[in-house]
Amino acid sequence: MSGFDLVVPETVEEAIAALQTLGPGEAAPLAGGTDLLLDVDEGRLAPRRIVSLRRLPWRTLDWNGNSLTVGSTLPLRSLEDDPQVRVKYPGLYEAVRNVGSVALRHRATVGGNLVRAAPASDLIPILLALDAEVDLVGPHGDRTVLVDRFVQASRRTDLRPGELVRSVRFPEPRPSDFRWQRVRPANDISQVVVAVAFSPAGRRWRVAVGGVSPRPTLLTEAADALGSGRPDADAIRRAAESASTRALFVTDRRASEEYRRRLVGTLLERTVASVVETKGFPA
Amino acid sequence: MTAAARPDAGVKLAGTAVFGTDVDVPGMLWAAFVPAPLAHGRIRSLDLRAARALPGVTVLGPEDLARFFGPGERDQERSLFAQGEVVYRNQPLAVVAAPSALEARAAVAAVTVEIDPLPIIADLETAFPEWPGSDVGASPLVAAHVHARHGNVEDEFRGADRVLSETYRTASVHQVALEPHACVAEIRGEVWYVRTSTQSPFGVREDTASLLGIPESSIVVDGTWVGGGFGGKGSSFLEPYALLLARATGRPVRFALGYRDEFRLGRTTLPAVVRMETAVKDGRIRARRVRLLLDVGTSLPGRDFATGYSIGFLLGPYRTDAFEVEGYAVRTNKPPFGPHRAPFAPQCAFVVESHLDHVARELNLDGEEFRASHLWREGESTLLGQTVGPFGIAAAFERARATARAWRAEAPPGHGVGIGCGFWSTSTGAGGEVRLRLDPQRLVVLEGEREIGSGSVLAGLTAVASRVTGLPRDRVAIEYGDTSVAPYDSGVYGSRTLGALGRAIEEASVALRRTLAERLGARGQAELSVERGEIYAEAGERRAALTLLLTPDEHDAGGLVADGRHYAPSRLIDDRRVLSGTFYPYTDFTGAAHVAEVAVDPGTGAVRVVRYAAFHDAGTVVDAGAAQAQVEGGVAMGLGAALTEEAIWSDDGRLVNAGLLDYRIPTLGEVPPISVEFIEGFAGAGPFGAKGLGEPPIVPVPATVAIATRAACGAHVTELPLSAERVARALKLL
Amino acid sequence: MTAGPVRLNVNGTARVIPDVPGPERLLDTLRWRLKLKGTKEGCRTGDCGACTVLVDGRSCLSCLTLAHEVDGSAVTTIEVGPDELLVARVRAAFEAAGALQCGYCTPGFVMAVAGLLRERGTAAPREELLEGLGGNLCRCTGYAAIVRAVDLLRTEAP
Repeated sequence: MSGFDLVVPETVEEAIAALQTLGPGEAAPLAGGTDLLLDVDEGRLAPRRIVSLRRLPWRTLDWNGNSLTVGSTLPLRSLEDDPQVRVKYPGLYEAVRNVGSVALRHRATVGGNLVRAAPASDLIPILLALDAEVDLVGPHGDRTVLVDRFVQASRRTDLRPGELVRSVRFPEPRPSDFRWQRVRPANDISQVVVAVAFSPAGRRWRVAVGGVSPRPTLLTEAADALGSGRPDADAIRRAAESASTRALFVTDRRASEEYRRRLVGTLLERTVASVVETKGFPA
Repeated sequence: MTAAARPDAGVKLAGTAVFGTDVDVPGMLWAAFVPAPLAHGRIRSLDLRAARALPGVTVLGPEDLARFFGPGERDQERSLFAQGEVVYRNQPLAVVAAPSALEARAAVAAVTVEIDPLPIIADLETAFPEWPGSDVGASPLVAAHVHARHGNVEDEFRGADRVLSETYRTASVHQVALEPHACVAEIRGEVWYVRTSTQSPFGVREDTASLLGIPESSIVVDGTWVGGGFGGKGSSFLEPYALLLARATGRPVRFALGYRDEFRLGRTTLPAVVRMETAVKDGRIRARRVRLLLDVGTSLPGRDFATGYSIGFLLGPYRTDAFEVEGYAVRTNKPPFGPHRAPFAPQCAFVVESHLDHVARELNLDGEEFRASHLWREGESTLLGQTVGPFGIAAAFERARATARAWRAEAPPGHGVGIGCGFWSTSTGAGGEVRLRLDPQRLVVLEGEREIGSGSVLAGLTAVASRVTGLPRDRVAIEYGDTSVAPYDSGVYGSRTLGALGRAIEEASVALRRTLAERLGARGQAELSVERGEIYAEAGERRAALTLLLTPDEHDAGGLVADGRHYAPSRLIDDRRVLSGTFYPYTDFTGAAHVAEVAVDPGTGAVRVVRYAAFHDAGTVVDAGAAQAQVEGGVAMGLGAALTEEAIWSDDGRLVNAGLLDYRIPTLGEVPPISVEFIEGFAGAGPFGAKGLGEPPIVPVPATVAIATRAACGAHVTELPLSAERVARALKLL
Repeated sequence: MTAGPVRLNVNGTARVIPDVPGPERLLDTLRWRLKLKGTKEGCRTGDCGACTVLVDGRSCLSCLTLAHEVDGSAVTTIEVGPDELLVARVRAAFEAAGALQCGYCTPGFVMAVAGLLRERGTAAPREELLEGLGGNLCRCTGYAAIVRAVDLLRTEAP
């Protein structure tokens, strides 16, 4: 653990300034800290300054009609506890409640998970499947970016110097589900993550996978194969096959490439089936 | 079942129990290892000057040790630091002490070392890539060779109806005690004093004395509460370093390992490859060949305990007319092989049980019947010529079969039920002693072991003392004493505590009760009882309160004292069967049969254990709560070895998953309901015929899960752990 | 700031801890400054749960929490007195069920159970309570007796 200066700004402007006044990589924002502090302890990151976001007004969960805006420093447990989230964004609920452990989720945040952009992130795939958007604030103003554009590669996002994620927005509730495969069911990193959602307005499927490649990815070919409504068994099979060939696969100590391909296909079939059969799927 | 009456529950639930990691002495320094940055190399230079220049920092390297050595005989083979050559990654090159943990880390970072890399033998595949297809021969990588034979092996193989041959692979597993190794050392005048979390205070004393050449009498080891041992805390580790630093600095020194280093530096079960060949004729095993290649890391030649001992477990408790076993301990660039809970026996049971189940299937025989028909019976001869003592495995197996039948009848599609057997022999260690002190209100058992969690000390010994004296349990207190005051015991390991110290208590109790009878003018042993809070002794026609039977000196000394000891007789194997190496005799014969119902996901290969039953040959159950708790805990640990635990080493000798996220022990949701049943009546070596229960429960588990998995889906996995991916491959899903 | 005071209400008592460096973890503040050793140091990577305390009634991995990040909060540790009725009930259930062996995971488990019961109520579905303990590792008990302790604490839904 290296030494660092801890600053606790009172306002967003102060936070941005605290991040900006040092060189790249020298200052890091602290939300829940469950990833950052570990990275610091183990020498993967060595910021001179850590900027706590605890006093910023971002521990929020707001409904605008059915669209949901989650403040970036809201603990995941609060998201999990919201009964409307469970009903309107069931895939998001499933993904969130499977992150780490309860105590971890009392501190871990959507913002932190998103910005970390880990290849096996349990949240990014469902954010992709829900067409979530990221609201950013920074020294040059605010902007909004689709998560799909924001997450660029393993551990790399489009976050610019001095920028912070203020919130993540989910435009419309979707029948959705999230499945994972891990070595053990609790408190583990996933080998493969599949998130599936159906947009009732656009009559369009979204399929996202994580854990198989450096970056969680939307699989457009697999989604297209599912069609514009209730897919038949054949369509599901074609989607699964597309997913298990198109996604970029890696072999690591959690699973081989071959096995990941197999898992993606199997999990996709199951996830689509569950979305269609049980989650209030439109006729 | 009754909850274990545990006198330690109060302090542990209040948070006041002091573990090794909790010891806090004013002015103490914080120690850390300087780790070798690669797995094999020649040390060209080690520059400690920059580290030494840091304020408050002391550094000890190989050159500094000589001034601390005493005049006594030293174990020259074991060195505290790498000498000239680094043989495993993170091997200690030096050790630092600094005023804080942060400063200790900075001191470590300030050390510069130049090492010329040497080729790394990371694993068995690197050492002998063709094995078992090739010969090991006279390779310099062999640390030990064991070879034994009996009967006409060649003829039996030639004349067999069928010969079944298989190769199995098992993974390295760690103890994963939740508390890392930790101690605080101080020099008090002439005394080298250390408080440490250990399974063996006297072992630490002995080790330290032999490493430093100082007399044992100048070392005092005071055991703290222990946050789990499981074999990993059975001998010294950090203590000699902490003591040296305390000596060098004149300050107390705390040495605790970070959890990643627990994994990286841990001495534990390492990987193995086993070749099993079985010759069958007329439905019976006629001959077996077992060949073992065991990774022993950097175990010193001649010090490997694992190979000769494991070979027996690969034969299992099964009758064979002829056999040949050969094992090679192979040196790789890893820390030395060290004891785990029932070291390597769960892996051996997995191999022999899976193999015999496979043999039966290939012969179209019932796997359970096949194994049952070959199980040892009392009076028969083991493969190394010992006589099998009272052995309840057949009874356990029958109970298991009844349960398996019932579960099979109810099992839904995709589920499978299987039985696995385990065999264990209680370790003896050198032996153990206790002192009993009977005062007018209670019996105190003074002994030298801390309760490490299993209950063997606080529950088991209390139960034994209560039974042998006739006093109720609440009148018995176990008093732990450090090595300067307590009688000797070799350590809490090998499931030996109840047996060894229990027998010592028996002996002391007999002496105590005889003395009291004499004082009452009678022969034999006095009966003890409690009345209105006072202890009474009765013998012959007379009865008196104990307080009246004690001499003034005894009153002053706190009561009537009696000593007991137990040094188990050594047992012999038939040396004529041994061609090479050291084999280990069994002390007693403890059996177990487990049943698992598993569900296998046909799409992913993931195995889920739905329910579990354990039948244990316990001799006599001395404390029901503690016994049940041991089985529940041992089964859960075994499930980890069966399904998720695997230490993964890279080609350059780095432990890749050195942490609790990637080295996966079971969580609460993964342990199914476990029903536990004890079979009593087959006497073991302990008091009242008790058999040790610390280790037997883990032994059958991976075997049971593997056999149930095969029953569920047909996948025959010959590797541990049974990861979803391995099962998927065996199912040809990939 | 490189170091500064941290204000915490620890087990019912207001404390001001001076000169706490920014990087210091709540775990270390409790153990080494306040000498409350009941909270245990296990993995220090947030994976074992041995360091679990309650912060404002919610379970918290104190090894991954900066002391300064919880400045102003109420912290409850295993050392909390018998007046803290929920923790006392959990302790009693653990004792009755024999839900500990070596005891190292015990403080973390007690706090995790207490936190869960406070959050979800004693009438919460059994599955929910047991799932909620997936972040606490135990190597000795196999969890069986811990599950029995949780069952003792559960009440029927109204």
